[in-house]
Amino acid sequence: VIDAYLSEVAALLAGPAGARRQILAELRDGLAAAVEACQRDGAGPAEAAQRAVAEFGPPAEVAAGFAPELAARQARLVGVGLIAGGPLVGTLWLAALGTWPVVLFTGRLARGWAAAPLYGLILAIGIPAAVLAVVASGRLERWQPDLPRLAPGAAAVGAAACVAGDLALLAMFAVSTSSIADTSWPVLWVAAPLASLFRLAAAGRGARRCLAVRGVVRRTRESLAA
Amino acid sequence: MRAEALKGHLDGMLLATLEDGPRHGYAVIEALRTGSGGCFDLPTGTVYPALHRLERAGLVRSTWSTVSGRRRRTYQLTLAGRSVLHSERSTWREFSRAVTAILDGGPWPAMA
Repeated sequence: VIDAYLSEVAALLAGPAGARRQILAELRDGLAAAVEACQRDGAGPAEAAQRAVAEFGPPAEVAAGFAPELAARQARLVGVGLIAGGPLVGTLWLAALGTWPVVLFTGRLARGWAAAPLYGLILAIGIPAAVLAVVASGRLERWQPDLPRLAPGAAAVGAAACVAGDLALLAMFAVSTSSIADTSWPVLWVAAPLASLFRLAAAGRGARRCLAVRGVVRRTRESLAA
Repeated sequence: MRAEALKGHLDGMLLATLEDGPRHGYAVIEALRTGSGGCFDLPTGTVYPALHRLERAGLVRSTWSTVSGRRRRTYQLTLAGRSVLHSERSTWREFSRAVTAILDGGPWPAMA
């Protein structure tokens, strides 16, 4: 009975895997404590398990209660990842650019860099969004209770900006290096695009997850209001 | 009593259940139930997420241990949580005195 109940709750939780595991472990312990309390009142094991599950309430209600917290955790995870990964990837690219021959920035090959100002715009959107996601999902909630609601959306915007930024960087890299016949590229010419590819995939996954948890919270709020 | 009726007071009551020492989530639910004479039988979907929210706000902190082969999360007040509890308690006493004075038709306590 307990396992079936927890499986139902698990299927309805959306958010970081670690946080979901912790919630289920905590619920399992709580249910066990409730079973023990029922048995102290004289119930048999089967009846005690049924009463404990009934006391904890419908899985949908339990999962709905955790939705805002899981959304905040997801947003924080993505926001921290963006802020931590940004300088690393940026440094790799700057180091790679430092080793590029001047010819890549001049003449016909310079067309790959025409989109460079776009990257500034992407940073101007992405960095504040990632910072907002981290700040809104933290302790400021004590003074601004509605702030965590902004976190998943902000994290999704930050992650989407990151995806756009990496796509722009990779496109510039591809255009600029397409005419280079020499196959013995410096390590940084490989490391920087690979780092961008990895971050692009992670940021894309993060944006989708943030939008998903944001949708769960919105649906929960609507069902409570109905 | 439903959780909606406690809106605005839940955090203070949760902090109060931890004032005398650490408790795990179900022990907090039981403390609310027995401490209120059965009046506050709050659902799991309210209490556990609220404890997580209080931890995120820095008012409680949790630790994991193993009890009877089960992983158990135990909550305890932080210094900030203790401070907020004192503040909530003062606010509630002033509020309840005022409401009681009006509902009972008596004088405003501060003017008595």
